[in-house]
Amino acid sequence: MSDPSVTGTVPVEQPPPVLSLESLSLSFGGLRALSDLDLRVGEREIVSVIGPNGAGKTTVFNVITGVYEPSGGDVRFGGQSIAGKPPHAIARLGVARTFQSLRLFPNMSVLENVMAATYGATKATPWESVLRLPRARREERQARELAGDVLSFFGQRLAGYRWDQPAYSLSYANRRRLEIARALATRPRLLLLDEPAAGMNPAETHEITELIGQLRNARELAILVIEHDMHVVAGVSDRVVALDHGVKIAEGSFDTVADHPSVVEAYLGRDPEALT
Amino acid sequence: MSFFFQELVNGITTGALYSLIALGFSMVYGVLKLLNFAHGDLYMVGAYIGYFVVQWAGGPAAIKIPVALLLVIMFVLAAVLVGGLGVAMERFAYRPLRDAPRIAPLITAIGVSFFLENAALLLFGGQYRVYNTPEFIKLSSGVQIGSVTIDTVQIMVVVLSVALMAGLRLLVSRTLLGKQMRAVAADREAAEMMGINVNRTIAITFFLGSALAGVAGVMAGLLFNQVTNTIGFIAGLKAFTAAVVGGIGSLTGAMLGGLLIGLAESFVTGYISSTYTNLLVFALLILVMLSRPSGLLGQAQLQKV
Amino acid sequence: MMTAPPPAAPPPAGPQIGADEWVARLAERRVYLPSWLGTAQRAAERVGWWPRLALAGLAGAVLPLAGLGGFQLQVGIDALVIAMLAVGLNVVVGWTGVLDLGYVAYFGIGAYGFALLSSAQLNIHLQAYLSLPAVLVGTWLLGLAIGLTSRRLTGDYLAIVTLFFGEAFVEFTNNVAPSKLGGPNGIVAIDPVKGFGASLNSNTSYYYLLIIVLVLTMSVLRLLENSRTGRAWRAVREDPLAAAAMTIPVNRVRLYAIACGAGVAGLAGAIYAAQQVSVFPTDFDTPILILVYAGLVLGGAGSLAGAAAGALVVMVIYDGLLRNAAESGYLFYGLILLTLLVRLRPWRRLAGVLAATIALGFAAHAIARAISASAVAGGPQSGGWIGSALRDWVIVPANSKIAGNWGFVILVCLLIALVQVDVRTRTILLPPVLWLASFVWEARLVTEPSITRQLMIGAILVVMMIARPQGLLGQRRVESPT
Repeated sequence: MSDPSVTGTVPVEQPPPVLSLESLSLSFGGLRALSDLDLRVGEREIVSVIGPNGAGKTTVFNVITGVYEPSGGDVRFGGQSIAGKPPHAIARLGVARTFQSLRLFPNMSVLENVMAATYGATKATPWESVLRLPRARREERQARELAGDVLSFFGQRLAGYRWDQPAYSLSYANRRRLEIARALATRPRLLLLDEPAAGMNPAETHEITELIGQLRNARELAILVIEHDMHVVAGVSDRVVALDHGVKIAEGSFDTVADHPSVVEAYLGRDPEALT
Repeated sequence: MSFFFQELVNGITTGALYSLIALGFSMVYGVLKLLNFAHGDLYMVGAYIGYFVVQWAGGPAAIKIPVALLLVIMFVLAAVLVGGLGVAMERFAYRPLRDAPRIAPLITAIGVSFFLENAALLLFGGQYRVYNTPEFIKLSSGVQIGSVTIDTVQIMVVVLSVALMAGLRLLVSRTLLGKQMRAVAADREAAEMMGINVNRTIAITFFLGSALAGVAGVMAGLLFNQVTNTIGFIAGLKAFTAAVVGGIGSLTGAMLGGLLIGLAESFVTGYISSTYTNLLVFALLILVMLSRPSGLLGQAQLQKV
Repeated sequence: MMTAPPPAAPPPAGPQIGADEWVARLAERRVYLPSWLGTAQRAAERVGWWPRLALAGLAGAVLPLAGLGGFQLQVGIDALVIAMLAVGLNVVVGWTGVLDLGYVAYFGIGAYGFALLSSAQLNIHLQAYLSLPAVLVGTWLLGLAIGLTSRRLTGDYLAIVTLFFGEAFVEFTNNVAPSKLGGPNGIVAIDPVKGFGASLNSNTSYYYLLIIVLVLTMSVLRLLENSRTGRAWRAVREDPLAAAAMTIPVNRVRLYAIACGAGVAGLAGAIYAAQQVSVFPTDFDTPILILVYAGLVLGGAGSLAGAAAGALVVMVIYDGLLRNAAESGYLFYGLILLTLLVRLRPWRRLAGVLAATIALGFAAHAIARAISASAVAGGPQSGGWIGSALRDWVIVPANSKIAGNWGFVILVCLLIALVQVDVRTRTILLPPVLWLASFVWEARLVTEPSITRQLMIGAILVVMMIARPQGLLGQRRVESPT
């Protein structure tokens, strides 16, 4: 932030945050899923979203990525409004996500899963592909290299002979990693991770925690994470946002939010004998 | 003007018929999420059964038993036999595919439909079988309003259809079985975990839906007089139209859709020409589907991500 | 409430001993067919796709030289046309997962398009090198248009609407503008494929043309399959929601698949029209659609080779063998024996069942002959040595129609029951069922080959989907949870 008293000039305009949810609301019929939600994610920031089940966390992801259209408010990506755009257009602008319930392309190989995500960045027409014209060959080669690069992020886990295996034959943890790799192949600016550590043992959880940090550092990504596992949340977050019933109930550092009375109540319930 | 009313009467009659078929079709779709392409062929089998009952009773000109009894036998036998055929179909062809991707049971249904049509061709031959209804049901004993004739068969068809549809509505909304059917339709796994015998419920649903188709087949024979192995295909298509236009899975929608199709058909045949009837009905379907993809009364499915 | 917990021990670097090695040695554990078949299988996998395709094409091309002629050549031509359709349908259904039940309409549009552009109907006589591409592009565009109008529809609804488009096409060509489209009498006197002075006039030339076109089409599609377009198609089938989240424009990709499938069908239609010299609305009705689907399902949706091979097999059986009643017996009994061999284990059970069936047959025949001579007056219809072998085994009455019909109904009921009961009851039921099947075949089915082959197609669809949905050459699929 520039201080006018120091520079003596008009303050430089802030670059818009990577993601900005402004008074976002979503209703399904009579049910208010999200109410007046404000959320910001800045460059290279890792923000965690926590809250009990049904709080609306995945719904936020779905609105950001265009699966649902907001009933009110706006979603801004890099200053530009993306509310109402189709999902593939939003993905092309640089928003990538993983899914809570793992949505890979099960019958396609590991390599094909990742290369499929490069569709938006390639321009070769089908005829160029068939005739193997230079642009098609070049893009195919580049897609392969990108896939290799992205998969190498996970070391030996998704290396070499694994590339040709169908995705359904991978172990659970590897499938989660593949989904992250696939999301990275879209060259995003913002990565949305929906419960990346779900179903993982402590060793794998630790690995994921480190990985998220590495993603931010190595790839210059802004990351929004939904998580239930507080080890992960504590380990990665710059900031934590707590939701309950579609409403933001707390925001701040992990320690601030963890001790916040509303958050405690949302997770553990209210002590009926305690004084309010 | 009386021409209009005559066509209206005809339209309501055929509409009631299509509603009945569409209702059975919608019921089956509701519990299994399956478009049973063979449903129309069940209707065809029902029509043949009615024909053979008439033959057994002495042929249209010399019925040996009271007409009322004859009709009861026709309807009941068609309902029971076709219902049984439907249950067998479900057991053999659709049950193994309960958890398969949607394409599989659809293709199987096409195969079953094709098989049934050709089995009928093999067993009964390709010539038209004629009910010759006027021989045993005196049509002139119908109702006359002005110059509009509503004959007995038409009255019977509408009354019976309405009764059956009302009965079915009562079944689905008031009885335990109806609740079980709705539960299975909503979420099969959860219903199973709540102690509902899913296989039995689905079998009963199939029985009821197929029985309705069988009854509709007999009605068709009485109304249209001619039965052959291909009537199921076109009737099935129109029943799909009705069910889908009304919103598939919605029973009220099926009834509404059937009526709409019957009326549309009647007026087109009456006012324009019978050559274009089918074409225009198809065009109607396509238009409705494109403007309201989930039908008139259907609900857009929300996808849980 | 919570404080940050102490970090857990970091995981060991590199692959776990044992776990990854097991996976790495996957190739060694693949099961191949025994002896020389396995060697052939392994060799086929090492070699790329185009030598296999070229070999298949050459094999097909050699057939007429080896003596295929007349009626058999026509069967070959029909088979190749259906193979083209199956290959095109594979793009739509197998790769992209769009169930198009009106696909045969594109076939018809291509045929009628060529018929209008190159015949005396409208007095346009375009040369083939103009009309064929025109039809191809036209059908492609029409597929795009139809796909566009139905883009808001999903799965089941789309299937129904496409079914209606297909029916609408038949109704349209049957009733609308009879002077231009010929009505029920169709368009006749269509020009042959001609250009640059030469023209294809013999069945042999059309056979070769179709082989070349099929091989070319399959090559183009194979090249597409391994490109960004093919990956997008397959991703859309696997999980449209995830595909959209990964930058794939799902609707556009689906449209492209529908259009490409339509184009292939149109091209097949045009060549078909030229070879048949005439087109009628009934040529493009549902039975043809079902044939194409049967071929695709039998061969394996999702695999180009499967689609073509399945279609060829279905058509050869449908058209060729079953038209000739005597020959078809070999197929019928051969299939039954093959199924028994494959499914009925251990060997003792198989031998027992066969012995019981044979004994039952002879006994029943003898008893029947003792009771009434007319009960066995008709002979088995199968020709060749099968017929003479069966003469004293299967009962074929003089008027076999009614008995045959009843037998058919009972047989179907028994087959349905057979699938439901336990193994022991099944073994006991098998001999009478087998004997009854033979009876129904000899007494009834063989006398009505045109109906029997349709029954067979329906049965293929049902049995394949239940027993082996991936077809003969396809891969087993895992479905993504919706």
